[in-house]
Amino acid sequence: MKKLFLNFLFAGFLLVSLSGCYRMRPSNGGAQIKELPQERKINPVDVLLPPGYSIELVARDFNFPTAVAFDDQNRLHVIEAGYSYGEVWTEPKLIRIDANGSRTVVATGTRNGPWTGVTFHQGNFYVAEGGTQEGGKILRITPSGTITTLVQNLPSLGDHHTNGPVVKEGYVYFGVGTATNSGVVGVDNADFGWLKREPRFHDIPCQDIVLSGLNFETPNVLADSSTKVMTGAFSAYNTTSYPGQVIKGSLPCSGAIMRVPVTGGQAELVAWGLRNPYGLSFSADGRLFVTENNYDVRGSRPVWGSGDVLWEIKEGLWYGWPDFSGGKPIRDDEEFKPPGSDPVKPLLQKYLNQPPQPAAVLGVHSSSSGFDFSRGTTFGFTGEAFVAQFGDMAPQVGKVMAPVGFKVVRVDVATGSIRDFVVNKGKRNGPASWHNSGGLERPVSVKFDPAGNALYIVDFGILKTSEKGSVPLPNSGVVWKITRK
Amino acid sequence: MRNYLKLICLFLLILVWAVAVAGCAARKSEPVKGEYFKPTQASIVNGEKVFMANCQKCHPGGEAGLGPSLNANPAPQFIKRFQMRHGLGVMPGFKPAEISKSDLRDISRYRRAWKHY
Repeated sequence: MKKLFLNFLFAGFLLVSLSGCYRMRPSNGGAQIKELPQERKINPVDVLLPPGYSIELVARDFNFPTAVAFDDQNRLHVIEAGYSYGEVWTEPKLIRIDANGSRTVVATGTRNGPWTGVTFHQGNFYVAEGGTQEGGKILRITPSGTITTLVQNLPSLGDHHTNGPVVKEGYVYFGVGTATNSGVVGVDNADFGWLKREPRFHDIPCQDIVLSGLNFETPNVLADSSTKVMTGAFSAYNTTSYPGQVIKGSLPCSGAIMRVPVTGGQAELVAWGLRNPYGLSFSADGRLFVTENNYDVRGSRPVWGSGDVLWEIKEGLWYGWPDFSGGKPIRDDEEFKPPGSDPVKPLLQKYLNQPPQPAAVLGVHSSSSGFDFSRGTTFGFTGEAFVAQFGDMAPQVGKVMAPVGFKVVRVDVATGSIRDFVVNKGKRNGPASWHNSGGLERPVSVKFDPAGNALYIVDFGILKTSEKGSVPLPNSGVVWKITRK
Repeated sequence: MRNYLKLICLFLLILVWAVAVAGCAARKSEPVKGEYFKPTQASIVNGEKVFMANCQKCHPGGEAGLGPSLNANPAPQFIKRFQMRHGLGVMPGFKPAEISKSDLRDISRYRRAWKHY
């Protein structure tokens, strides 16, 4: 009897170890709220920081803000994206915020957002234009609002956009995300909305690749859903591939870091094999780091358990997409196999190089986005990267047991150690709308002021998600400021 | 028969408790705690590094995320090490080439230090 009791006790411990069966539980993402609130609550008291730091509201009611920059007079500028997931287009804008809080629209873009990033360099602003309608662009904007296109037709008509930019030694560095989740155009891309606009769009490799020849069957979402079509990797929807097929690399390409002279010109390749390289920043010693939003559990080739990554970028390297995650191969590995599905099979027959190891691996579906390095002792944590985590988009990207992201973390790039820096109050982590509080919603980027004394957080606002898609709340964006007491 | 019923009740009680515990994210971080985590022992520092490379992505800061909360999980460390090595449910196992026996023990030390700081 005693033995039986011990067996039961052990079974109990195992159950505790399991902590609830993953497959039995519904998804519990931070944006899976029942209803979109009428308006956003804002209250800095609902935000927690480490000892010695305080937070204040700088400005509110922005429409999908994504980044800030300071001009040569230290004046704060905010960009509004002009696009949000959920297929909502507005006008992209560069807005100056004066010391008295007044706002001046410096420049207005066209219906080709989202404007995902901005930087100021030697008298001009440089903006990454996402390119949902016309392809991505890098824009130069003068303080008087004149817009010049430095490079255009970047292949970002799909799931991910043109991101960045940062400037170093006469070049504007920027990222272009992939068209798809993991290399194959499928039903999920029709759900995103772009496949019906751009039925021939697909991923473009930056160098010659050799395909394994896998093809994936889906309902024909472009014609008759009762019929089936087959689609291969790096191919248009309803186009098959074969083993040994060589796809020629070309520029500009997908899933890459590229650069263009500040005076404009042809895009040059820096590195590629990055699913969605969103945030770019140079460390104080001149090394380029990039955040990569990694695979989702969706589409024809879902990948599970793929953490976002902070990479140090070495020129000329391939970083592993679509067959690696954070430097690890995803082929036939249970770490990346979606529960209840077959193991993930490789799309490439051979690899261009062994992908490097990441600087840090961040939360799965955390949407780790814009980041900046602390440069001064006044703020503290000199040399560490402060990363804005937009937060999960569950259930569209896959299931989560609790909200992931919706905060700012700091990363020691030497050790890969990640610590929370700014979070919301509450029994669990999650966005303010999930807590019904006035704290952080979706931090999308951070930026230190020119002196390095204050950290500005750009909070995109409320974005609800469900199986049906994403629904943003317009004009719910906020800019916060963190200082050391 | 009565003893068997007692055991089944105990089992169900543990099950309910386990699910309830799993529902708690058990937050633990510097902003939540209002105190910095400063490991001094080399094994804890190494444990944190290995945890960050392999575990953090599904259990950020030991909280629930893609996977369940570790901070709220009262199972003994030897069971957790068994789970890390062999996997359980949807959690993959990590082979000795991925996480060595010594690193597994350092993860346990880090987790204990994190839980009680």
